[in-house]
Amino acid sequence: MRIPGILLLLLLPLPILIVVAASFTPEGYLRFPPGTPSLRWYEEAVGDPRWLKALGLSLWIAVLTAVGATAIAFLTAWCARCRLPGAVARSLDLLVLSPLFFPHAALGVALVNLLAVFGLVATPTGIVIAHLICALPFAYRPVAVAMQRVSPEMLEASAILGAGDARTALRVLLPLCRPGLVTALLFSFIVSLDEVTVTMFLTGPDIMTLPVEIYAFIQENASPVLAAVSTAMVVATLALVLLLERLVGLQVFVETERG
Amino acid sequence: MMRGRHAVTALLLLPGVAVVGLFLAAVAGLVQSALIGVDGFSARYLNQILERADYLVVMQRTVLMSLAVALTATMLAWPIAFLLWRAPRWRNRLLILVMLPWLVSIVVRTYGWMVILGPRGTINEALAWLGLVEAPMRLMFNDLGILIGLTHVLLPFAVIAILAAMLQIDPWLEEASESLGARPGRTLWRVLLPLSAPGIFVGINITFLTSMGAVVTPILLGGIREKMAGTQIYQDIVYAFNLPKASSWALMLLVTAFLVLVVLRLAEAGIMRRFRH
Repeated sequence: MRIPGILLLLLLPLPILIVVAASFTPEGYLRFPPGTPSLRWYEEAVGDPRWLKALGLSLWIAVLTAVGATAIAFLTAWCARCRLPGAVARSLDLLVLSPLFFPHAALGVALVNLLAVFGLVATPTGIVIAHLICALPFAYRPVAVAMQRVSPEMLEASAILGAGDARTALRVLLPLCRPGLVTALLFSFIVSLDEVTVTMFLTGPDIMTLPVEIYAFIQENASPVLAAVSTAMVVATLALVLLLERLVGLQVFVETERG
Repeated sequence: MMRGRHAVTALLLLPGVAVVGLFLAAVAGLVQSALIGVDGFSARYLNQILERADYLVVMQRTVLMSLAVALTATMLAWPIAFLLWRAPRWRNRLLILVMLPWLVSIVVRTYGWMVILGPRGTINEALAWLGLVEAPMRLMFNDLGILIGLTHVLLPFAVIAILAAMLQIDPWLEEASESLGARPGRTLWRVLLPLSAPGIFVGINITFLTSMGAVVTPILLGGIREKMAGTQIYQDIVYAFNLPKASSWALMLLVTAFLVLVVLRLAEAGIMRRFRH
């Protein structure tokens, strides 16, 4: 069982590595293996304003989503842990996590319906709302798990020493949840940066995130400039994953509340 | 005093409840848009899906493809999860190889498969260079392309679900089974597989649901002829601006997915009962 496991594990990043390798092709169409490495397509990507514009919008949306989702996750998890009866807290957990299991094509249409009412289709605000809904489950889980691990004695001790609820939350709970908060922040940032299925329903000619711009470009053109832009996205995602691994470890994603 | 505390709790919950509320309102809007026409109740587009043979084929392909993807992805994920479970010291590092493909945008991963499977892609170029094929093989713009692409896209999801279940297993159980004389193969089959079954089922359910709602991979690797429901929904919104029709497709997708999940749950319960004997 071990050898198939190793082979399959090595196969997982293969399509991504192929894109990275193909981005250095000197030719006009994509070939693998590429000839002598060239940076031609990177120069072309930087020279085309559409990519930089889309990147700028994507980064803004990702920052707002990450900060918003993490703050909301902390407040909600705090209430669920300390301020609500167990049964209510459990239903709240389920509700917050439910967009995770919702087929994305249906979520996209549902959001078009909702945002059209407020005239927010093809606006950055609309996309941030959509990304908050998509990213909240990813921010909530690590924060809730981290909070579960804070021993009740710590909070009691803080209360006995005279700290109010707010002070206990800010000075005791918040620092003790730091690994969960870091995970939530980085994770929701990545989710927002790379989200495409729901976002592609909500973009317009002037409002394009980077992944949706890549999608639109594939449909009209097979230029290797796509491989260069994709590689930039892979590098950004890899940097964030490595940061996550360094700061808190990746095991948090497979550990459960009890773990 | 108590009322003050409740008021504060409500205020703290407001942002979270707002996000969840927007999600629920969006779903309600979807149902309304699918069922209510200009003059009252109308299931026009829902009927259209059931009546038009070409639409039924799309719905059928979506379900069958999603089941095939869910089973393939979960089957391939098990050995990876097993490997990571058995290597606690390396687990964190090896998880990078799972997390990176999971988090890199679906559009980039699908593009990678286009480079590999395309008519002038890696596989066809290699086969032509070896002199094995005269004309390029058709590896995408068909069901095979969608199956490969979606399986790869969803594989990390399944690995994480199964690994999470495996980490709940007491490692001593494996040793107990072996010290009682079971050969490693038998331990794997009679002890580890049943104990990881909850993760396998979660993996199948999640990959099935996600695959049902896929848009990018079916469009790019399946083309416009081999449609899945996601392709149809996207075309109805972006090219036809027909929101009621897209909503009807989405509602049909949700109802179908729910019915299949119920059947899957019954099958899972049956399998678990067999394991216990």
